[in-house]
Amino acid sequence: MGRQGYVGEFEQMLLLAALRLGGEAYGVRLMEELEGRIGRRVSRGSVYVTLDRMETKGWIASEISQSSPHRGGRPRRIVRVTAEGMAELRKSRLALMTLWDGLEEALDAG
Amino acid sequence: MKRIEPPRLVTRLLQAALPPTPRSAAILGDLHEEFLTRAARSPLRARLFYVRDAMGVALRYLGQRRKRGRRPKRLDAGGQTTWEGVVEGWVRNVRYAIRRLAKAPVFTLTAIGSLGLGIGANTAIFSLVNAVIIREQPFEDPETLVDVYVASEGFSHGTLSYPDYLDVIEGTPDVFTQVGGSQLTLIQLDVDVGVEVIPAEAVTGNYFSLLGVKPALGRLLTDEDHVAPGAHPVVVLSHSYFTSRFAGDPGVVGTELRLAGRPYTVIGVAPEGYRGTLRGIEPSAFVPIMMYDELQGSTSGLLEARGRQSFFGKARLAPGATLAQAEATVDRISVTLREEHPENWTQSKALVLVPTADVIMNPMLDRVIVPAAGMLMGVVALVLLIACANLASFLLARAADRRKEIAVRLAMGATRKTLIGQLLTETVMLSGLGGLVGVVLATKSLDALVAADLPLPLPITLDLSLDNTVLAFSVLLTLGAGVLFGLAPALQSTNPDLAPTLRDETAGGGRGKRARLRSFLVVGQVAVSVVLLVGAGLFLRSLDASRLIDPGFGDAPTGILQINLPTDRYPTEEGRVYIASLTERIGQIQGVSAVGFIDNLHLNPLSTQHVRVVGAGVEPPPGEDFHRVDYGVIDEGFLDAAGVPVVSGRGFNTSDVEDGEPAVLISEEFARRFFPTGDALGRTIVINDVETQVVGITGDHKVRHLGEETRPFVYRFHRQTYTRFVTILARTGRDADRVALEMLTAARELDPEIMVVESKTMERHLASMLIARELGAMVVTSFALLALLLASIGLYGVVSYAVSRRAKEVGIRLSLGADTGSVIRMLTGNGMKLVAVGGVVGLLVAAGLSQLLSRLLYGVPPLDPATFLTVPVVLGVIALAAAWIPARRVTRIDPVGALRAE
Repeated sequence: MGRQGYVGEFEQMLLLAALRLGGEAYGVRLMEELEGRIGRRVSRGSVYVTLDRMETKGWIASEISQSSPHRGGRPRRIVRVTAEGMAELRKSRLALMTLWDGLEEALDAG
Repeated sequence: MKRIEPPRLVTRLLQAALPPTPRSAAILGDLHEEFLTRAARSPLRARLFYVRDAMGVALRYLGQRRKRGRRPKRLDAGGQTTWEGVVEGWVRNVRYAIRRLAKAPVFTLTAIGSLGLGIGANTAIFSLVNAVIIREQPFEDPETLVDVYVASEGFSHGTLSYPDYLDVIEGTPDVFTQVGGSQLTLIQLDVDVGVEVIPAEAVTGNYFSLLGVKPALGRLLTDEDHVAPGAHPVVVLSHSYFTSRFAGDPGVVGTELRLAGRPYTVIGVAPEGYRGTLRGIEPSAFVPIMMYDELQGSTSGLLEARGRQSFFGKARLAPGATLAQAEATVDRISVTLREEHPENWTQSKALVLVPTADVIMNPMLDRVIVPAAGMLMGVVALVLLIACANLASFLLARAADRRKEIAVRLAMGATRKTLIGQLLTETVMLSGLGGLVGVVLATKSLDALVAADLPLPLPITLDLSLDNTVLAFSVLLTLGAGVLFGLAPALQSTNPDLAPTLRDETAGGGRGKRARLRSFLVVGQVAVSVVLLVGAGLFLRSLDASRLIDPGFGDAPTGILQINLPTDRYPTEEGRVYIASLTERIGQIQGVSAVGFIDNLHLNPLSTQHVRVVGAGVEPPPGEDFHRVDYGVIDEGFLDAAGVPVVSGRGFNTSDVEDGEPAVLISEEFARRFFPTGDALGRTIVINDVETQVVGITGDHKVRHLGEETRPFVYRFHRQTYTRFVTILARTGRDADRVALEMLTAARELDPEIMVVESKTMERHLASMLIARELGAMVVTSFALLALLLASIGLYGVVSYAVSRRAKEVGIRLSLGADTGSVIRMLTGNGMKLVAVGGVVGLLVAAGLSQLLSRLLYGVPPLDPATFLTVPVVLGVIALAAAWIPARRVTRIDPVGALRAE
């Protein structure tokens, strides 16, 4: 939105997970992907609230799919990272890489 | 495969929390999908997952809404005036409370458990009181209904005879629009296999219209079903019998049932919730009183005999008529009755009116029921008080731990109102969960009570289901407990004058007051527990004393079979033949040593059966021309079978024939009273106007109640006085249950349609005399133990809190060389001081209150030394454990660590 800044940590994780999942990024898979890769339980409420927020910011777009019986007759919300979202990710990555540059030794020493 | 669905209630709650958008639907879909994946492995874990995650999402979204809603008026301090704001504030408080409660699971579970037990005890007893006393009978305009009774010697509110009832109708057209009533009876119903005996009410034609009861199905009995004796073979089913026996099939209306061997048309079903006129005794069917003789299979004389006083009368006051006018009118009828029927209407007899709304079961029984109910409510209220004291005590302790946090928040600008709201939310949630546990406990224990096969003297059925009244009561208790006992600690801990706390909370300052308050609560709990323990002790001792009463009969295992002979199929001689062949068969049952029968077995508390005795030189009571003496009609074998000794003279034998000289046996008490000179044997007395010879004297035995003073008793012989009421006793060495069963089989083999009223053992018969005392003692004892448990929890809490708070002091003592033993003794001793104070207070209060119990006690003085000595010992031992166990934990204190924490 109008605010200048960087993608938050959780936002970034969700965006990356959505990218990895391609066209299959919806609630259940997103949580599986996050939990599988970072080995930590994430709060379901936070996932949905963050997705809503990022959609408002225009970083992701979502599409409500057909409902299916194994979901109690309810639809899926499949999210896709928009060009704007990609730009935010790039910006954030660049900022982090710049800051990390030359600090590998310090990291190993710690 | 069985389809597993996520909990619907949780889904609903989540739906309510989410905005109604497709995105929300997708969230529900995600949850559903994961639920199914997990359910394939473990349905239980899947459910837990679903509840946790769905509630998490719901709270998260509610929080979101709050933020959005609050943003424009963030600076407005009291910004929760809108409805949404209030709800959001509340949701936040709930989340906060859940987090805090989850952080201290031991505290939370103990508090919920304590409150659950307290509220459960109250709900259970209140359900009983509600069913017995409070729940209104579904009568139309109950305020204009009156009960009609007959007062006579020994019975202030007895029942009418049918002819008395007719006289009441005739004499009261000005004050009553309708007079009706009913007669309780047992009727025999043919079922698929054999017969079933069901309780029924034989009613007058105007009964239902008088009470304003409307049918659930078909029609009820009307004046057209009350024209001529024997002419109305119709029956109305009670709603519960209709549901239980006929599976609620409306098709049963219009069909025929065979009652006492004759077809009766089912014309309708009484409404749900109508349980007959006598509370607690629920009829399965309503039949016209005109059919009474047919249903009994005998010419009972009910509709003609003034002596058959068993009719419950009710009347409707005419518009404008007052109770006083009606009383004046029935007084005139009483006078006429005494003049015209001196045989039955002795000078002490009179018609009595009582407004139906003032009667619970019967004014005579109410005098016992109401105080007993009051006592029970008092006992459970005390239990709840102890539970609430625990809650308050825990909250005070927690408030002490949170002083610093609260002081910081107050300093940072949180309003006191907000903090109190949070603290109260926490308490109300605790009490709410406690209430939930309580209602479940109450329901389970009442179910168990209803299912228990108690040897009740009457077929009492009470509807103990939780109705709105009971639930409202429990909710009120729950909220009351939460708010009342949460408010004081909340107010105290949010007192803004807390500057010293911020400086140093361990310096001691305000802690003394709170600790004193907790100590005071423990003293109170101990005192109340002692009062209840003393009450329980007295009841237990009274029960013991009652158990030691020798009833004077039934000293060996005995099978009992009670049957009624229908006089249409068994006129006098046939009846005697049937009984003779039945007793002979029963005598052949293996292990039976003696068989005999009586018409009305001793210890029937409802018995009013008596003979009129004149003569023997002892003046009758004032206003009477004769003495009333209880009697029984027996055969040759009864005294042996019952274990009643013949002290002098002889028992009945074949020489006492129908048209021979009338003979009776009298009890020793009878002999003492009427023949003080000791020459009773062989003398003649006038019994029911017939000169009768005393041929033998029997030992005394209890007649109506175990607790009664010895009553005189007369035995008459069945060959000289026929009876169709037969209670057969078969004395045996052991296994009376088997004998009772074989007696039943023998009676049915001889006549498959014989009307069996009851089959039981002597043990059960005698136990039914003690059941009220046993239940009373059991209930009071369990509540007293519950109180002791709760008080121990309170004591445990106080001592263990003292241990943790005094860790530093203890550390110093230990590092200065005190041994742990002396420190434990000091901490335990501090706790026991509270117990000693509470114990003394409790004993003093109990000594005062026990006088009130004296009427309910038997054979125990209210200041029974054994009780008053045992209770302090029991209390001391339990309290010592409750104080010592937490005190022992000082051994785990690391002196150096405790000091370093400074």
